[in-house]
Amino acid sequence: MRKILLGTTAVVSAVVGAAVMAPEASAQQAPTVRIGGSIQAYWGYIQQSGQQSDPGWSPTTPIGVPGANGGGAAAAPTGPTGAFGRLGKHDFVTIPQFSVIVTGKLANGITYGGNIDLTFNNQESRAVINRNVGVSRSAPAVDEAYVFIAHPRLGQIRFGDEDGVMGGLMNSGWITGFGTGGVFGVWENFQTRQNGNRTQTAPGGLGDNSKIVYMTPQFFGFDFGASYAPNFGSMGQHGCISDAVNTFCDRAYAFRGATDAAIPVRGGELAARRNEWQVAARWRGNLAGVGLAATAGYIGSGTALDMTLDNRQIRTLNGLDVWQVGVQASYMGFTAGAAYFRGNTNFFWGNTIRGSRPGEQLTAGLAYTAGPLTVGANFMSGLFEGNGPSTFDPTTGAVTRNATAGRARMRRWGMGVGANYTLAPGLSLIAEYVHHSIREQGTDQDVGRAGPQNRGYSNTFILGTRLAF
Amino acid sequence: MSHIRKNALALTAVAALLAACSNSRFVGNEEYGTDNQREMILRQTGGDPGASGLVVFGVDRSRQNQAAGGGGAGMTVNAFLWRATLDTLSFMPLASADPFGGVIITDWYTPPAAEGERFKATAYVTTRQLRSDGVRVQVFRQVNQRGAWVDAPTSAATNSELEDRVLARARELRSQSAGLR
Repeated sequence: MRKILLGTTAVVSAVVGAAVMAPEASAQQAPTVRIGGSIQAYWGYIQQSGQQSDPGWSPTTPIGVPGANGGGAAAAPTGPTGAFGRLGKHDFVTIPQFSVIVTGKLANGITYGGNIDLTFNNQESRAVINRNVGVSRSAPAVDEAYVFIAHPRLGQIRFGDEDGVMGGLMNSGWITGFGTGGVFGVWENFQTRQNGNRTQTAPGGLGDNSKIVYMTPQFFGFDFGASYAPNFGSMGQHGCISDAVNTFCDRAYAFRGATDAAIPVRGGELAARRNEWQVAARWRGNLAGVGLAATAGYIGSGTALDMTLDNRQIRTLNGLDVWQVGVQASYMGFTAGAAYFRGNTNFFWGNTIRGSRPGEQLTAGLAYTAGPLTVGANFMSGLFEGNGPSTFDPTTGAVTRNATAGRARMRRWGMGVGANYTLAPGLSLIAEYVHHSIREQGTDQDVGRAGPQNRGYSNTFILGTRLAF
Repeated sequence: MSHIRKNALALTAVAALLAACSNSRFVGNEEYGTDNQREMILRQTGGDPGASGLVVFGVDRSRQNQAAGGGGAGMTVNAFLWRATLDTLSFMPLASADPFGGVIITDWYTPPAAEGERFKATAYVTTRQLRSDGVRVQVFRQVNQRGAWVDAPTSAATNSELEDRVLARARELRSQSAGLR
């Protein structure tokens, strides 16, 4: 009789069409392939430093052109001195994305699947001698692409391009569930480069390079995770042509110029980071009706070595060596949290040159949800190594602290206030304001203005909508 | 840092072993953080990342789950099995029915053709899936001996027969529901 039940159901389903086959009749589920995506569209009004050059002022570096530290060649254009750039104060930004999601289940309880995420407006152009190079902002780029296999008792393995356990998967205390995420939201899309304001130190900023991730089941409220990536490269095997090894080869463990690749180059997909590994421990529970979560974790890495002119390998960069803790609580629609990290990193999650001070950052936030409306605020305050603290001499192999190194302390802080109103599942309206500031003594944060400007700032107001399906 | 690295990896290995032991709970993908824009928006706006989008291959189980749940929030057992159990035991007076726990308890019932004995049944719907082992029925029987009701054994086949009737009814309901879509 019981076999008849299953068999007959299958027969009936086959008659009326595969779409009505009852998967619940069997524990095993054939894979489902789903296509989804999102569209975000925002209007932004921006007031920021670096929007124009002072009349008569002759900057040594054109506005928006990176110095050597930014990965491009800086050269001022010839012509009349000063006043050669003006920026508008408002813009539209559109951010489309496509996702392909595969899920399935085996009869033994193992679930499996994978994700491929194609994002647009994801690439940051590099400015070299006042020209944008690299791919278009409207070109697609793979964000995440991974396979997962999960067992109820053994945990989950993810393999592919994905965030790490402390790079977004298991963090606590980062309050970003309002607006577009406040100070960690999309306001960065409206900023100019390279000295522009931005917050690269959110967990997801660590990068979704090709890695393997393992996360345990939860027991007694605790779950744990670990991830490993051999290098910084997304997709892997970047730029490794056979007759030269350089910055653009992610498998190179030693190459001339590694010191200058401490922060990402070539569209943010290559850097000197090697053997990145992360571990995380998370606890979630409920005390007296208050939902609690806490995470402690560590991010470590090695780095590629620089080489002298006589081909000696020199370790010029610190590996990532960052501890992070975060806690959050939710009650009656309120969610509050804070997270702190400290260790060898710069504000790009990049490797610091040896002798640099550790980076540290504190963030806190509060959000409140009432029906379709969520409002919230968050802030971040960080202290990082500044520009050009040390120099590598490829002749002698020495890493020497610069005479101006005393200035090398960069304080970055920002705050965001935002709201989102849910019109329908997947559709919301957004309003958000973000202020961000960079201070660094002795470093010009606004080359368009006369004299060294030790402070750069940005005020961004955003209105928009976003839809996910 | 090598000793820290070794310690951390050892802790992770121990954690994995502990997790494989008892008291472990499966952590769903929705319990991990993400910087996938689609998923973040859906989570923020109450959408279901696992049920949104266009199914281009396979079966849209999210719709079936909604259908099986009758669209009602809070149903924790399979709706077809639940409804079939109610239908099957409806000839007896109902004492209690808990759709969240999946338990149906009838009151004592005396068949017209068998005065002198009475029956009571307890049914358990145990799964969210439409499975043949997702329902269990236990029948109790008493006989009247000199004016007092005394427990008496039931035929071993009685429980199984009632379960089969429930499953047959669930199959009918499922087939009818399939025909509507």
